[in-house]
Amino acid sequence: MATQPLIKIKDGKKYFYRFSAIQRAQHITIASSVIVLALTGMPLKFPDAPWAPSLYALFGGIKMAPIIHKTAGTILFLLFVFHLFYIARSIYTDLVVPLRRKNQLSAVAVLKGILTHPIMPSFRDVRDFAAYLKYLLFLSDKPPEGAKFTWKEKFDYWAPFWGIVVMVGSGFIMWHKELVTRYVSGEIINFALIAHSDEALLATLFLFIWHFYNVHFSTSVFPMGTVFITGYLPEHLMVEEHYDYYRQVMKEAGLEDEILPPPGSRREPVAAEMPAAAPSAASRESLVGGEEA
Amino acid sequence: MLRLNAKTIFRWSFSLLAMVLLAPPSVPAADIGNCLLCHKYPGLSRIDEDGRLRLLFINEATMNSSVHARVKCEDCHTDIKKIPHDPAKKVDCLTQCHIVEPTSEQKFSHKEVARFLSKSVHGLKDRDQKPKKHPEDLPSCKDCHDNPLYRPLSIFKQKVHPGISKAALGRCRVCHKKDEFIYRFYNHVTTRLHKIRSPKNIAEICARCHDDAQLAARHGLSTKAVYSYGETFHGKAALFLDERVPDCLDCHVNPGRSVHQMLSYKDSNAITNENNKGLICANMDCHPGASPKLAEYRVHPEFDLERNPYQFYAQVFFLGMTGSVLLPIMGLLFLDLLRRMFPNASLRRRK
Repeated sequence: MATQPLIKIKDGKKYFYRFSAIQRAQHITIASSVIVLALTGMPLKFPDAPWAPSLYALFGGIKMAPIIHKTAGTILFLLFVFHLFYIARSIYTDLVVPLRRKNQLSAVAVLKGILTHPIMPSFRDVRDFAAYLKYLLFLSDKPPEGAKFTWKEKFDYWAPFWGIVVMVGSGFIMWHKELVTRYVSGEIINFALIAHSDEALLATLFLFIWHFYNVHFSTSVFPMGTVFITGYLPEHLMVEEHYDYYRQVMKEAGLEDEILPPPGSRREPVAAEMPAAAPSAASRESLVGGEEA
Repeated sequence: MLRLNAKTIFRWSFSLLAMVLLAPPSVPAADIGNCLLCHKYPGLSRIDEDGRLRLLFINEATMNSSVHARVKCEDCHTDIKKIPHDPAKKVDCLTQCHIVEPTSEQKFSHKEVARFLSKSVHGLKDRDQKPKKHPEDLPSCKDCHDNPLYRPLSIFKQKVHPGISKAALGRCRVCHKKDEFIYRFYNHVTTRLHKIRSPKNIAEICARCHDDAQLAARHGLSTKAVYSYGETFHGKAALFLDERVPDCLDCHVNPGRSVHQMLSYKDSNAITNENNKGLICANMDCHPGASPKLAEYRVHPEFDLERNPYQFYAQVFFLGMTGSVLLPIMGLLFLDLLRRMFPNASLRRRK
């Protein structure tokens, strides 16, 4: 559990806790390694392109760029391994230990806890996606009131899981072809090349179109969202993307009377609609930090 | 009568200056026939009987850096007996020239190369000594060769880089007194220590025929052999001028043989034969100690359902996945941008 306050108030504006320092460090590592991998890999994918030789030369050409590419690939692989340990540790501390304390520890309980974790895909995502589509097609004036993690974020999180497995696996086969072909036919290198090359293109375009739009180019965040650096999301983005979760956090912090109306609404604050018990002064202090304006 | 006024002097001075500045800087040195008297001029050219522009300029510096630098012009252009001469015939590379091969002390010619070539996959006869179909498609010397330039190597303290090692020259000069000989011999030997052409250059030469779909079809070859090589890491690295990657000849020529002795993969002695190809990749210079299975890698994969069905389906899978992910998300982004332009517009209102 994070020790950071869930809401920080600075200059009269509220900021909502989203990502811990270790999560942000992992994000910066994956972002920088993927950017380097894309920049040193795409010239090989498109060697005839007019920009390819210059871009490759920027990374030291054919003698140095593959070394940089392999180094970045190794960093990505190590990060993936670290992340798996991080997940395992989180499951243990946030799920197994509390269940054991309650004397309710069982495989089914752990599995249920994992499957109902906010980052796991759920039926709600399908419902939210349908609502989003209706909103985009002007069939509704109400965008979905997002949970802690929206379907977009889950897509952003789970897609690299598949991508990293494919990229690291195929990259390993091509890098250590002598070792691999002791056991299997060299034809596996052909498949590895197809998978590595095509999955790289998909991942790069996905990240630079979809993810960059959502975190950089969308009119709500342009030129750049700062949550990946600070760990805190400004209130207007919290309302726009995670309204359900926003309402929950505000209630927990005893700030019901300051809850903003849902996205797409022109109504006044909805405090009256959501009665909730006010938390004690001590718990409010742990939930809200920073200077109040 | 010439009048020497200021204008005339200026014109003459300007003309002389222009002649000095525009004339080629080199002076014919080893040109015994004095051919460069005319051929040193960059603009020297003519339109031949077929209407093609023929450039006749010889750059002496370039010629002197080539492997044929010591061969006299008339050794190859044997039909030229007088100056000015009639249109010259095409050079026959099998002509015996005046260079003496030092080990045999015989005059040198490329006849041995032609003999090799005649027995190779590029020869005019097949393995049963029957004439091949479409002999006009088969390569002769000048289809693959121009006049290659020396590419000397400097080897010093285990470090190798292009150029001439001054330290090595110093050792040569202990016994050999003529610098011209030393440079020539150094160039000759060190050029032969590695390839005279880059992998990219070699692939381009092979592509002249092997990426010609019609020619390949006439001979029952797989089409776009060099294109498919370009799809592999080796080919891509070659495009970035990496000289460490294998080119066509490194895999298709038997170890210790000349490119002119290349055999068909159907020949049981060929390194590319199904029974031998396991040795191709595992040689000391490439992947030492590699399993023969490494050579089962398809160097010429093509997007072809009949020839490579599994790879075809793998590629279709990834292409399909790319399209099925990217097209919808691009549609969503477009709609999202549109929606943001009209945030209050809606066909249905919230109750």
